[in-house]
Amino acid sequence: MTLKRSTRRRLRDGTLYAVLAAVVLLVVLRANRDAISANFLDKDTWKELWPDIILTAAKNTVKYTVTAFAGGILLALVLALMKLSPLRLYRWLATAYIEFFRGLPALVVIIFMALGVPLAFGWIPPGGTIGAGIIALILVSGAYMAETLRAGIQAVPKGQHEAARSLGMNGLWTMVTVILPQAVRIVIPPLTNEFILLVKDTSLLAIVGMQANQVELTSFGQNGLTTYANASPLLAIALVYLVISIPATQLVAHLERRQQRASR
Amino acid sequence: MQNRPSRALVAATLSALALGMTACSSGGSSTSSSGNDLGLISDGTLTVCSDVPYPPFEDFDKSSDTGFKGFDVDVVNSIAAKLDVKVEIKDSSFDALKSGLAINSNQCDLVASAMTITPEREQAMGFSDGYYDSEQSLLVGADSGIASISDLSGVKVGVQKGTTGEAYANDHASGADIVVFPSDGEMYAALKAGQVDALLQDLPVNIDHQNDPSQSGAFKVVETYDTGEKYGFAMKKTNTGLIDAVDKALGDMKSDGSYQKIYDSYFATAK
Repeated sequence: MTLKRSTRRRLRDGTLYAVLAAVVLLVVLRANRDAISANFLDKDTWKELWPDIILTAAKNTVKYTVTAFAGGILLALVLALMKLSPLRLYRWLATAYIEFFRGLPALVVIIFMALGVPLAFGWIPPGGTIGAGIIALILVSGAYMAETLRAGIQAVPKGQHEAARSLGMNGLWTMVTVILPQAVRIVIPPLTNEFILLVKDTSLLAIVGMQANQVELTSFGQNGLTTYANASPLLAIALVYLVISIPATQLVAHLERRQQRASR
Repeated sequence: MQNRPSRALVAATLSALALGMTACSSGGSSTSSSGNDLGLISDGTLTVCSDVPYPPFEDFDKSSDTGFKGFDVDVVNSIAAKLDVKVEIKDSSFDALKSGLAINSNQCDLVASAMTITPEREQAMGFSDGYYDSEQSLLVGADSGIASISDLSGVKVGVQKGTTGEAYANDHASGADIVVFPSDGEMYAALKAGQVDALLQDLPVNIDHQNDPSQSGAFKVVETYDTGEKYGFAMKKTNTGLIDAVDKALGDMKSDGSYQKIYDSYFATAK
């Protein structure tokens, strides 16, 4: 039996839709709705979480992320310029730093900053355990972002540099006013990635100890989990994480579209 | 007009899939059997969840059959022997245990993790009779000048997340800066690093730190608090067969002296 090509296409599409519908149906039917609502949608527990989930937990998550991100970018800028330096020792130092901190799990660096450094040197980093943890996140994210920034700087066409120099600008002035503004536009998307990774990495800070007013979203959710013997707080913080990270990605998508229009 | 054949096909495919699905689900759900009315996840094996390490209650031990040792482990092994089942211990996250998620999602039959019986936890899980009376205690630096819980104003006190020690500190150590840690491992490191000045937690764990040979004389337990708390083994609320069997085994162990023997091997020389 031969079928018309359009019929064959419809058959194929229909089958694909049917498979998708069946999978969704299967998941919905197989789920134990009573268990889900008892464990994740407990109304009393949800009410107990408000307003601390926003006023303390989400606020701290954003605060830790923004601090670590800002510190990380400054550090990354220094490292990226060192990597592009004509002095070999500078390049070598920056490379060693980047390889070292990219190779270690953030959790390990956090523990070393908060617990290892005081043990070894008798010096407690400012801000207690949380301050030490944020310093650790700056050290780690700086290493990642340094490579991103370096790639961005190198992606600016050489002619820009030559043109600026031929106008009589010195090297530093060229970098700050001509190269970096263009590089920043190039690296915005990968930097957003780093930002969102940092949002989630702030949950690692709990390992070195937190006071009640220092909790971020994940610890807040875990505290709720044990206090109310119910998993609803986990679903609640999952939603708040998405509320924080999805607008960030949308903002970048918007910036990218603008940038594409501008470069046309 | 031209759409009709494909719609019919979609309907046919869907119903065929649905048929297959119901066949699947009726076949798949008969696996949870209960050989000896204990309602165990896997027949003949008591699957136990515990948050390890928390010495002296649970700790790693490569030389033992289960890979673990400790007071809880020994008691559970004796109970299992009386029930004539094997023991398999899973090292689990503390949160999943205390929230009841591990039990209610069938990850384990029983939780043995130095877990105090509280009214909130009893909502989510069924508990055995108490098997251990837990006291809270305050561990401080030997030369810190801290002598009691009333000296803690402005002092950083480490507690473990979600524990009754944390609750006790919140209620009684007014003015203290309470720092919450995931487990005793990080807490003790923070005390040694000077990030906190005191630890408030279960007495046997603090006693272990006081007697830590590598830090001899550095820390001491200055106060203990009898809070009337009891540790219990948690099980699925609906699994009354297992709860009754565990309670009976515990009772037998107490009357035949085997419980006391295990207890003495861990705690008799503690103080």
